[in-house]
Amino acid sequence: MLLRTLVLRPATRRPLRLLTTVVGVAAGIAALVATVAASRAAVAALEQGVEEVAGRARLEVTGPDGVPEALLGRLRPLTGDAVVAPVIEEIALLPALGDAVRVLGVDLLLDDQVRALEPAATALPSPHEVASLLAGRGVLLPARLAARLGLHPGDRLELSVRARRESVTVAGTFAPRRFGSAWDRVVVMDVALAQELFGRVGRLDRIELVPRRGVNERALAAEARRLLPAGVTVEEPRSRAAATSRMVRALEFNLAALSGVSLFVGAVLVATTLATSVVQRRGVLALARSLGASRGQIARAVLVEAAGIGLLGGALGVAGGVLGARAALASVRSTVAAVVRGIPATEIRLPLWLAVAGIAIGVGASLLAAALPLVEAVRTPPLQGLASEQPKFLRRPSRRRAAGLALAFGAAAVALARAPAWHDLPVAALLAALALLGVLLVSASPLLDLLARRAAAPLARAAERTPVRLAIAALAAGRRRASWAAGAVGVAVALAVAIGTMVHSFRATVIDWANQGMRADIWVRPLAADTGVQVGRLDPAVVRIAERLFGKDAVDPFHTAAATFRGQQVALSGGAFAVVARRGGVTFRDGRDSRAVFAAALVRHAAVVGEPFATRFHVGEGDTITLGVPGGTLTRRIEGVFYDYSHPQGMVVIDDADFLAVYPDDGPQDVAVFLPPGADPLAARDRLMAALGGRFLVEALLNRELRAEVVAIFDRTFAITRALQAVAAAVAVLAVLTVLFALLGERRRDLALLRSLGATRGQVAGVVAGQAALLGLAGAAAGLATGLAIGLVLVKVVNVQSFGWTLRFLPDWGSLAVTAALVTAACLLAGLAPALAAARMHPGDALREEG
Amino acid sequence: MPRALALLLAAPALAAAVWQTVSAPPTLQFPRDDGAHPAFQTEWWYVTGQLADAGGRRYGFQLTFFRQGLEPGPPLPGESALRARQVLAANFAVADIAAGRMRFAERVRRIGGGLAAAAEGDLDVVLDDWTMRRAPDGTVTLAAGDRDAGIGLRLELLPSQRLVLEGDAGLSRKGPGPGNASVYVSLPRLATRGTLEVGGRTLAVHGEAWFDHEWGTSQLGPGVVGWDWLGLRLADGRDLMLYRLRRADGSAALESAGTLIARDGSTRRLGAGDFAFVPLTWWTSPRTKAPYPARVRVTVPSAGLDLEVRPELADAELDARRSTGTIYWEGPVAVTGSVAGEGYAELTGYAGSLARRF
Repeated sequence: MLLRTLVLRPATRRPLRLLTTVVGVAAGIAALVATVAASRAAVAALEQGVEEVAGRARLEVTGPDGVPEALLGRLRPLTGDAVVAPVIEEIALLPALGDAVRVLGVDLLLDDQVRALEPAATALPSPHEVASLLAGRGVLLPARLAARLGLHPGDRLELSVRARRESVTVAGTFAPRRFGSAWDRVVVMDVALAQELFGRVGRLDRIELVPRRGVNERALAAEARRLLPAGVTVEEPRSRAAATSRMVRALEFNLAALSGVSLFVGAVLVATTLATSVVQRRGVLALARSLGASRGQIARAVLVEAAGIGLLGGALGVAGGVLGARAALASVRSTVAAVVRGIPATEIRLPLWLAVAGIAIGVGASLLAAALPLVEAVRTPPLQGLASEQPKFLRRPSRRRAAGLALAFGAAAVALARAPAWHDLPVAALLAALALLGVLLVSASPLLDLLARRAAAPLARAAERTPVRLAIAALAAGRRRASWAAGAVGVAVALAVAIGTMVHSFRATVIDWANQGMRADIWVRPLAADTGVQVGRLDPAVVRIAERLFGKDAVDPFHTAAATFRGQQVALSGGAFAVVARRGGVTFRDGRDSRAVFAAALVRHAAVVGEPFATRFHVGEGDTITLGVPGGTLTRRIEGVFYDYSHPQGMVVIDDADFLAVYPDDGPQDVAVFLPPGADPLAARDRLMAALGGRFLVEALLNRELRAEVVAIFDRTFAITRALQAVAAAVAVLAVLTVLFALLGERRRDLALLRSLGATRGQVAGVVAGQAALLGLAGAAAGLATGLAIGLVLVKVVNVQSFGWTLRFLPDWGSLAVTAALVTAACLLAGLAPALAAARMHPGDALREEG
Repeated sequence: MPRALALLLAAPALAAAVWQTVSAPPTLQFPRDDGAHPAFQTEWWYVTGQLADAGGRRYGFQLTFFRQGLEPGPPLPGESALRARQVLAANFAVADIAAGRMRFAERVRRIGGGLAAAAEGDLDVVLDDWTMRRAPDGTVTLAAGDRDAGIGLRLELLPSQRLVLEGDAGLSRKGPGPGNASVYVSLPRLATRGTLEVGGRTLAVHGEAWFDHEWGTSQLGPGVVGWDWLGLRLADGRDLMLYRLRRADGSAALESAGTLIARDGSTRRLGAGDFAFVPLTWWTSPRTKAPYPARVRVTVPSAGLDLEVRPELADAELDARRSTGTIYWEGPVAVTGSVAGEGYAELTGYAGSLARRF
């Protein structure tokens, strides 16, 4: 009965408020579930891909950027103990599919001892097929992929390898045993063909070892290490997956932290809804108490409402999260693609634990949010007490306690923001952000008190401004509940401001970086998959063609390969320092002109490093670093540290000539072309594309196109974040609206008295509207300040700790002012309805109720 | 003889024209011609023998290396050194005669990349850690092992007679066409000693072995589905090698032939009409259901030989589909009749025709 009165009736009477609250929780849960599901899917696919493709291989011989094939012979003493199998693993674009495929080059003569590829058709391939596979350009396709592309043995298959159009022959198909197997996106070919196609003759990605019966793996690994040169590692296949998984998990944490913010917004919304519904129904609650309902029953009713909202929001959020995960996966895939050669097909699965956790977090957050409203509800006196309730002012000790608490929170925030990252994760900094919100919440009450007193003194003297005085008096009376409202508004505004500030700082910094760093006129890169992921590299021939057209001093090919530094994987890149030294490039953090830095680096054979590298390894200008590269080490002095927002794992750049002395020319990631002043980039691009003559699947972007793309990518990445900002703003308005209605209910008697004493309808409406404005202003002001502080933590601490990126702190003042104005206006607007309601109220009725 | 089995990998005819063929008796020079002949498409080095340990327990063994060319001609510019232009396969079997058990292992790998090589100029064949080499003193050494099958060997083979040139001074005809021939040389009696590893025990062994080396670019003649080969060491000091090229109806093709080697090493060629090979009983493989001749009556009337050749163990069917792509019977045999003896038999083309592979 009590439940029906307290929970169901309001739900049916005010479905919109309930819906908004539920959606608020759902949004938070959805963001969380989407992030976790997407990154888990990527990690699972990655690990499963590595494991499945590794087959029975228990050990892998690898090195930075692969190993020379000559190492095969060194392992001959092991062949009695293990099958020794060479592997090339690459990535190619399948234009017919519009997606990337993993290309696995294996020794087809003996690979059945490593991987069991079930031939789909006949038991034995015909001699012709075997000849095509071993001596020709034959490949094996997974049966499902072949069926999807309508290909049969003997048909031609077009591949884009290093952006070069290549044609291979389907020699046969194989049937992956498992549905949704990593093999479904694998083109298998002989290792020699893979070497030739990818320009990797003489080299392998890895050598796999399958121990024979009774062989101790550790002894085998030790023996292999003894036979191999330094710099070559012998590890289990899963350790290869582990490095990438670690990176994806770090990404997951950062994204989850962001979605945690949205969950927080949802919780605030629940708290507000519950608080207001409690406040609003004080009369009903008091009546219930008078009729004998115990505090426990009241508490249960509030908790049931909270749990209901949490359950509904959680369930909706989990469902929405699965949908959102598909979108999130695209960005995770891009991140993974930057470091891994093959991108396995990934499908989003909702693990049961995640669904349960999503709903549980929804319910938990709601219940937590219900804590304070609960206290309010159970404190509601019986009806008799309600009448005699007097406006309470905070007593001094309580205010002092609040101030102390706020100070403690503030100190904690400062300390946490300065704490180092925990396992490369900005845990402390995110706690600092929470502490800042704590400052806001505990100081809301004393702040309003202060505001009330300060405003009351001069206003009280202006007797003719009765409504304002009354508003202040009313506010002061309902202060505890009003502080609720202000706190809710403040938190919502703070979150909106913090998110907005972070995104704006990031965006402005990236745009600046793009404008300063991207100076070339044309960029050439391999055609991307439909998912937007760049597939592989460019054929070195593209560089030659560009050089022939525009001159060697106008072309800057950008090579990237894997290297190790202090045992961790980093990107080592090569750029044409001579070209950049003339034309300028990235921005250096010490402010030096990039041309001067590159000129110096060229003369001294020095390196420049990206900021994430410097941050991650605590190195800087003038330090000397030694990288693990194929065949040994590479020692370079750091000439400069440049801002870099593209390689969070760290990047070292050396001159192209130096790079190609260490790494074979596998082709660059992209090629930048600088045109002479006044040249027409459009015409130049046409010339270049004509010279590439359809042999290459590339795209060439003009300077402005690339910059626009950078911004577009940025905006896409932060779309969810921006949506959160909007949710936070909506919550702010909603909070004001509900709280005002509640306060109105509470002040009915005062307002009625006011009317009986001769106040006009306008004056009464003014009281209510004034209350709204005060609340809004207080909340907006406090939220703005807190939001900026949190934004500062996000920009200067969280980003640096999680990505190693220095961003400039650039609050979007314009939009902040608009936000503040909007919230205040929304508060006024929100106050209109209650104000009108108050004006329409019949004084007699209100007073009569009190008896 | 075309003992060996064309590798599964036998390349189709598109490149055949470029491989050298054997059409006249070769001019041989040793040790050069013990090495590989990569200009020819197919080549094998084949050792079979019977051994006994200190306790008198008897074993048969076989270690064979097959070389198969897939691409004649020089490598193209930019071609990977790992291109499978030539492939090496090896079969290794140990028969525990008393236990009636055959153990088998195989390897396959492309030549190149440091894990498989067949030297030209002398006998030196390497496939993973399996080797067949000639030491400077003329001893042939064999080394092979397989953990999964639980077998291994390290043997030294000492030639006790000079090389036998089979067929017409080494030219061994396989079919009616001009190029349907190979160069075929043998060492029928090699004093053998070393160690044998069977099921975890390492045994000192000694005995006698037969070495064959053959190369060519041959195809079986039309209608030939397989062959039966025997290499027998007779107690009177003579050795007998013969092969019957078998047509689908079980009859012998005209090119079936043999060689009778006298104690002094002199040889006598045997034509298809000079000998008979008559299966007396059959054994059916429980795995492939293929029927193989078991006891066989072999007669060479002109040499006064009327022999019964009996397998030392019934089940010597070898599944080599992972290396050479074939299933065949190869095992030690005992000889009774007009003269006693021992040797090895090879029966092919019973579990599916080999014609498609040639």
